[in-house]
Amino acid sequence: MIVPLEHLLILSTILFLLGLTCVLVRRNLIMILIGVEIMLNAVGLVLVGASAFWQQIDGQVMVLFLMAMTSAEVSISLAMVVYLQRRKNSIDIRSFDEMRG
Amino acid sequence: MTADSSLQFPLLSLLLWLPILGALLCLLWYKAPAASRWIALGTSTAVFVLSLVAGLYSTGSAGWFLYEDASWIEHFGIRYTLGMDGISLLLIILTAFLQLVAVVISWDQDKFSALFFALILVLGTGIMGVFLALDLILFYLFWELMLIPMFFLIGVWGYKRKVYAAVKFFLFTLAGSLCLLLAVISLHLLHGEQTGVYTFALEALQQTRLSFSQEMLFYLCFMAAFAVKVPIFPFHSWLPDAHTEAPVAASVDLAGLLLKTGVYGMIRFAFPLFPHAAEKSLPVLAVLALIGLFYAAWIAYLQTDIKRIVAYSSISHLGFVLLGLAAWNQTAWEGSLLLMINHGVTTGALFIAIALIHKRTGTREIAKLGGIWKSQPNLAAFFLLFSLASLGLPGLANFSGEILILIGTFSSNAVWAIFAVGGVLFSAAYILRMVQGTIWGPCCEPFDKQDLGGREWLVLIPLAVLVVILGCYPQPLLDSLREPVSFMLRQGGQP
Amino acid sequence: MAILLTLLLLLPLLGGVLNACLGNRLPKPLPVIIANGAVIGSFLACLGCLPQAGGEGLRVTVFTWLSSGDFQADIGLLLDPLAAIMALMVTGVASLIHLYAAGYMQEDADQTRFFALLNLFVFAMLTIVLADNLLLMFLGWEGVGFCSYGLIGFWYRKTENAAAGRKAFIVTRIGDLFFTIGLLWLFALFGTLGIEAINGRATELDPTTITIIALLLLGGACGKSAQLPLMTWLPDAMAGPTPVSALIHAATMVTAGVYLLCRMFPLVSLSPLAMGAIALVGVLTALYAATCALAQREIKRVLAYSTMSQVGYMFLAVGVGSVSAAMFHLLTHAFFKALLFMAAGCLINLAGHENDIYLMGGMRQRSKTIFWLFVAGLFCLAGAPLTGGFFSKDLILAAAFAQGDLFHLGIYGLGLLTAGITSLYSFRLAYLVFAGDFRGEELPHELPGLMQWPLVPLAFLGVLGGLLNLPHFFGGHSWLSGWLSRDHDVLHLSMNAEYLLIGSAVGVFILGWLIAHLRYRKFAPRETGPISGFLLAGWQFDALFDRVLIQPFRAVCGFCWQGLEVGLVDGLIDGFARTCVAWGQSLRLLANGRIAFYLQGFAWGLLVIVGWFLLRAAV
Repeated sequence: MIVPLEHLLILSTILFLLGLTCVLVRRNLIMILIGVEIMLNAVGLVLVGASAFWQQIDGQVMVLFLMAMTSAEVSISLAMVVYLQRRKNSIDIRSFDEMRG
Repeated sequence: MTADSSLQFPLLSLLLWLPILGALLCLLWYKAPAASRWIALGTSTAVFVLSLVAGLYSTGSAGWFLYEDASWIEHFGIRYTLGMDGISLLLIILTAFLQLVAVVISWDQDKFSALFFALILVLGTGIMGVFLALDLILFYLFWELMLIPMFFLIGVWGYKRKVYAAVKFFLFTLAGSLCLLLAVISLHLLHGEQTGVYTFALEALQQTRLSFSQEMLFYLCFMAAFAVKVPIFPFHSWLPDAHTEAPVAASVDLAGLLLKTGVYGMIRFAFPLFPHAAEKSLPVLAVLALIGLFYAAWIAYLQTDIKRIVAYSSISHLGFVLLGLAAWNQTAWEGSLLLMINHGVTTGALFIAIALIHKRTGTREIAKLGGIWKSQPNLAAFFLLFSLASLGLPGLANFSGEILILIGTFSSNAVWAIFAVGGVLFSAAYILRMVQGTIWGPCCEPFDKQDLGGREWLVLIPLAVLVVILGCYPQPLLDSLREPVSFMLRQGGQP
Repeated sequence: MAILLTLLLLLPLLGGVLNACLGNRLPKPLPVIIANGAVIGSFLACLGCLPQAGGEGLRVTVFTWLSSGDFQADIGLLLDPLAAIMALMVTGVASLIHLYAAGYMQEDADQTRFFALLNLFVFAMLTIVLADNLLLMFLGWEGVGFCSYGLIGFWYRKTENAAAGRKAFIVTRIGDLFFTIGLLWLFALFGTLGIEAINGRATELDPTTITIIALLLLGGACGKSAQLPLMTWLPDAMAGPTPVSALIHAATMVTAGVYLLCRMFPLVSLSPLAMGAIALVGVLTALYAATCALAQREIKRVLAYSTMSQVGYMFLAVGVGSVSAAMFHLLTHAFFKALLFMAAGCLINLAGHENDIYLMGGMRQRSKTIFWLFVAGLFCLAGAPLTGGFFSKDLILAAAFAQGDLFHLGIYGLGLLTAGITSLYSFRLAYLVFAGDFRGEELPHELPGLMQWPLVPLAFLGVLGGLLNLPHFFGGHSWLSGWLSRDHDVLHLSMNAEYLLIGSAVGVFILGWLIAHLRYRKFAPRETGPISGFLLAGWQFDALFDRVLIQPFRAVCGFCWQGLEVGLVDGLIDGFARTCVAWGQSLRLLANGRIAFYLQGFAWGLLVIVGWFLLRAAV
């Protein structure tokens, strides 16, 4: 492997934290979804790296599944964003806090 | 006790599951209230007839004269075991009878009536299951099954403070029965470790070897569930609220049947499983019974809601029943069981009479009632009769049980009996106060001047006849109780 | 014969149940006919049984009522001489009173209820009389209590009437507590409740036990018979219709206590202490009630106190060991007191429903018949020589006198004093009611014939009642003592003592009359002083009991309810529930509906868990 595993892990950690920060800080639903995607991709990166490191195919297979699932998830969540936008005329998550106790 | 294998027809199961079937049918026809009514009536009549049929098999001896056993969840050693002896027979007949009464008296219930009748029927299954089950897990299931329909009956169809009453009832009973579940499971495991046979069968578990402290711990857990249901003195506070707020059918079932399941649990499960602990606890039980007897009577004396007076009188009477159990001899036990049945009939009848008065006057406050005799002499006469029975007038229902308890108790412990006699005086005080405020005195001008209607006659006459018969000729019941009771006393060992 | 005995008991029950269930659906006079027929039939059955009653008596066991373990109680009847004479009196007097009531209640809309209860009462009373075991007797005992309750409060629209009924029931039930305890104890000792078995084996017991049991029975008797200290209910019981007062609160129920003591006499008489207590209770009640009767203004209350006083005499008789004297006085008293009450009912009617004797006067002009009947009764009550009351009272006093010791002589003295007071209040009543002119305003009401002629046989029985047990001194044969097989109740006193006793009895009678004559011949309302007020209120016992018993009882109840139930038990539970709710409320703030907030919590939680594992791995 050309790239050391440590570097890969550091990169994916940074990516994951960026995604998490994005999810926690942003109020726009689409931005939050982008954060989620970034986190997912960080995980995918780790899987690819680990697969290469241990010379096992499982990780790459997993990433393929991950990508398929992500595309499905994104289409559903975007559809819901559109639906929510129609309902409240806004995609600010502060307007969707009906679940509060 | 051996099973009578000659009987193949599953009478007990039929008895048990017929109400559930009826309940499902009720729900199927939920759009037609009339249909659900008739289904409920048909089912409960059938169950009543079946319970009488079961009585034909009675042999008068101590064993189960009807017995069913089938494997159920084998992995945990849970079996479907039902058995009926002289004690459960009487309680089953009482259950079936009061169920029928409850259905007829709520005939014009028109709020979600399908659901109402379905719940009443399910409640019947729960109660009968408790009286029949011989497997501890099965028993526990039925024990909890009683809880849920009652919760909804009070919570949905009750009076003003219905939600408070329903939640209080639910939490009290649930807390008690969780203790029961814990104890059942640990007893099961302990027995399994000792013998290698993992079972929940009552008769097998009786053979478990327990140290005294273990026995006491288990006994207390069992009693926690039963004490709440009876209720024994400090655990009674759910009862007045639940009784007062419940709709009439639920009050009848609550007072007539649910309270009895606690006592039944004690004599069928707690005492035989843990005889030494039971023996040690008898004086405490007696003292609590006496406290309950007086305390409830005193509180009843000052109540202004007549339904609440009857609710407290239940606590007082159940104190009597417990005292008989604590006396631990043949006469007292027969008296206790007889009083349970008598109390079921009289208190159920009183609740019905009160409901009919409430329907006509719109109030249950003593201060606003009065002179019912003027406007509704027949209803007032029934109310008077049931009140007198509740007060313990000889020749009417409660007296026959009470005097047997007193006689039995006196031979065990004269001081308890003398105190209990004092309690009789106070019951006269509060009952007569209630009677005076309701049927005598100046007229309260009910808005509905109608005296009893056809259906009401139909309910009240059998109750009145029963009240008189139970007072004058309770001997058939005592005969049915004799052998089972004496067997149980021998089993527990005479302290 | 057995069937007759069963009928004797069951006919009134049948009549009562029939009237109670169907009475309102029957055409008008039928319920009355059923009720009267039942009681008269019962009386005839009693007459039919009478020849069998002598010696061992006639017994029937109808069925087993309760049997459990060692305990058994039958519905078993026993007609022995004591029961027979009592049953004859009960059915006889009840028949006459039923006839009277048919006239008295003619216009009452609710008469079926009245007659149903009255019939049930007769049934219950006969159960007491005929029961061969104590539990069955207790059934009758409580049964009469209930009927009395229902009949005192018969006119229930007035709250006082219903309250008086309730008071009667509860006060007598206090006495019943003692009876019940005695009953339980007797069963524990003998293993049976059969009256004969207990009496037969009573000598096996040690004296202390006998004394306590006898005192318990006395307690029960005191409640039912309105003796000190459980006597306050009787005067209030006069709220009931007059036939009820005549039947229940004069002739039969209030004498049930005496009957109980006579029934259990072989047991009771084994304890001298208990006997002394019975005599003392009797004589003190007699004196107390007689003084109260002196100041009463309502005619029925005078009679009520006089009943209490006369029943006290009967207790005194039992206490000095003379069952036949007690029964003798019980019989004559039943006759003349029923007569007095029913005549009083006529008088009240004649005076236009006026109870107050201060507003009567001159009643003689309104009805000569009633005048003579009432006066005949009063003479018996006052103990006029040669009337029934005279002989029976005399026998009691003589029996006390014959005991000879200081205690019994003291009791004799008090009894004699009471006899004088009795004569005084009897004639006070006579003068206030009959002398002078009518002081009220109402016009007289008509008296139906049915209200008059049943009084005549009673008057004869009362006046001639002495013949039942005429002592040898007057040439009789003490028939009643012989019938009851109690020959040693027949006294053999010296001639001098006899003269002394009779002389003093006649003396106090005349003295009482004389004082009444001087004081009340001319009407002057003078009883207003503190002493009369005190006597009028029955020595303020009601107020005392209210202060000492009822108020504290209510306070205890109030404490249990508001203090313990609502405050402590419910307070604890509701407090616990409230704490839970408060916790829940504060935790609720965490669920604010913001996804970011949740995710933040999620991230922090993850951090903590990962940190925890890392730390563990590091160590």
